[in-house]
Amino acid sequence: MSLPMNNVYGPYSVCNIGVIAWLYAIGSIIGLIRNTHFVQALSEYRFSRIVKQISDPFFIICGFGDTGSLLARGLSDHHLIGVVIDRDPERIKALSLRDYNIKMPGLCGDSSAPKHLVDAGIKHQQCKAVIALTGDEEVNLKITVMARFMNPDVHIICRSTSPKHEEHLSPLHNVTIINPFEIFAQLLSMAITAPRLHNLNSWLVRAKGVQLGKPLKAPNDKWILCGYGRMGKWLHQYMKLNDINPLIIDPNMDKAPDDGSFINGYADHGTLKKAGLANTNGIVAGTDSDSDNLNILMSAQVMNPTVFTIVRQNHHENQLAFDAAHADLILQSSLTTARRILKYLISPHIQQLIEYLYEQGEHLTNEISGKLKTIIGNRKPHLWCITLDRAQALAMVDFSEQGQKIILGNLLHHPSDRNEILTCIPLMIFRDGQSSMLPSLDESVCPGDRILFCGTEQSERLLRSTLNNAYALHYLVTGEEQARGYFFRWLENKQKDRQTQPHD
Amino acid sequence: MNLERVTFGFFIILSLTFNFVFVIGHIDNPSHHNVWILTIAILVSLIATGLKLGDRSQVGALLLAAGLVADLLLITARIFWVVFESDTEMGPGPESMVMIVSLASGALLANIVSVVILIGDTLMSRR
Repeated sequence: MSLPMNNVYGPYSVCNIGVIAWLYAIGSIIGLIRNTHFVQALSEYRFSRIVKQISDPFFIICGFGDTGSLLARGLSDHHLIGVVIDRDPERIKALSLRDYNIKMPGLCGDSSAPKHLVDAGIKHQQCKAVIALTGDEEVNLKITVMARFMNPDVHIICRSTSPKHEEHLSPLHNVTIINPFEIFAQLLSMAITAPRLHNLNSWLVRAKGVQLGKPLKAPNDKWILCGYGRMGKWLHQYMKLNDINPLIIDPNMDKAPDDGSFINGYADHGTLKKAGLANTNGIVAGTDSDSDNLNILMSAQVMNPTVFTIVRQNHHENQLAFDAAHADLILQSSLTTARRILKYLISPHIQQLIEYLYEQGEHLTNEISGKLKTIIGNRKPHLWCITLDRAQALAMVDFSEQGQKIILGNLLHHPSDRNEILTCIPLMIFRDGQSSMLPSLDESVCPGDRILFCGTEQSERLLRSTLNNAYALHYLVTGEEQARGYFFRWLENKQKDRQTQPHD
Repeated sequence: MNLERVTFGFFIILSLTFNFVFVIGHIDNPSHHNVWILTIAILVSLIATGLKLGDRSQVGALLLAAGLVADLLLITARIFWVVFESDTEMGPGPESMVMIVSLASGALLANIVSVVILIGDTLMSRR
């Protein structure tokens, strides 16, 4: 009996040793895979490999907080790639779950470390800009300096609110400093002094619920400003530029400005009453606490239902509450910053146009808004820039080298039907370092020009096809269909000769 | 109406139809296929290709390529016919006929592609 038993169990015991060895090996492999350092090294390697393979222009976003994620969303809407670095692994995990139109690689790590900036492609040829948006301004400063040393040509955008940093960074060339509070104050003063331009600007950046031609009606006197911190100071400064002297409410007595009226205390019901809210035209709830701001807004709407309310939203996650509060204008620092940066990245020149329109006054803005309204209607506006060179407009360059004159109006028709106009308007032309605003349709265009358009995405596609198709261009400029094959061209020339010399 | 479009459309569709007329019938039955129809199909196809020479547009390039493929296959089929003509007194035998008609069917496919592109392009442009 013992022999068969041995025969039965013998192989099993050998097997058991094999199984243990296997289990041990698998266990240690799993241990290695779960090792955080190994995982980190692997993800860094994968990230840098993905970045190396990018062939389109891309931007490095350092810091994926409120502003960073809004910016990434905006880039995705315009089919541009953003490479994200953030310290928080949760945010990087969230990044991979977003439904972007385009893949955005993300790395978890310290974005001011040069190694990570190199991994993110700062030396890559297609890297167009580095955007420092972390919550810590010292880190932003560090990123800016590091990035400048590693790539002297790349454009750097840095978020900073401190004048000290601004002094540090201003000597570096090609660095743009974005101060959210200043942008905020600019927008507010634009809403008060140039409501139509504010309307146009918000429409161009695709702000929610904005309809072109329906500007806000912000009053230009009797304002109450609640909260006099960093942002309050900027708001006050810009309001004073527009000859508005707001009544300031702030609990901190030391901050009181030398000039202007000041009430010491929290902006609660009693204080607002004391400040004469019933007789004011506008109120800004601008403290750095969202609950306080909503509270002020609620009191204001109860005490004076006609008052114009502007509220500051500090955190993006409170969006729903602010949407429900029905303020006349919500200023969200992260959103305004993200929009300004996006506008800058997509077409750096649009801000020039806004400033030009601001100087020219509301009449011109009104005219432009009217034109855009009739052409684009309720569709989403789309801004794009075309350089008339061989890469982007081959047919157009060939055509004008043959000595033909092309005017802007020729190009802006449907390539299939000359009587139908394209849904876009030229906003600016750049030629020989000069820019001319709002060109007329009779303006002639030459190779080398850069033109900024506002229109729809479809019109961009059609325009680009016209500029690269010699037959469509010939048809639009002359109105005649050109013969395509050698035989018919020969026939056409023969016919022309006969027409010019009828007696021969 | 554009004279060039009419002429080119005429020749490309004529080439397709002649090609079809040649191919239709039993693939191995020599009495179903006529050598003169094949010759006419080659001529028409060559004219259609010639009319596309010189077109610099994308669609033109594609039409030219498809036309060249059809020419190549039809001419090969015609050469095969010449080579195998001495098979029987009636012309090529059933096995050679299969090869010739297969080549002509390939050309038929290229012609169908040309016509589809042409129709698509015409529908796209509204003028």
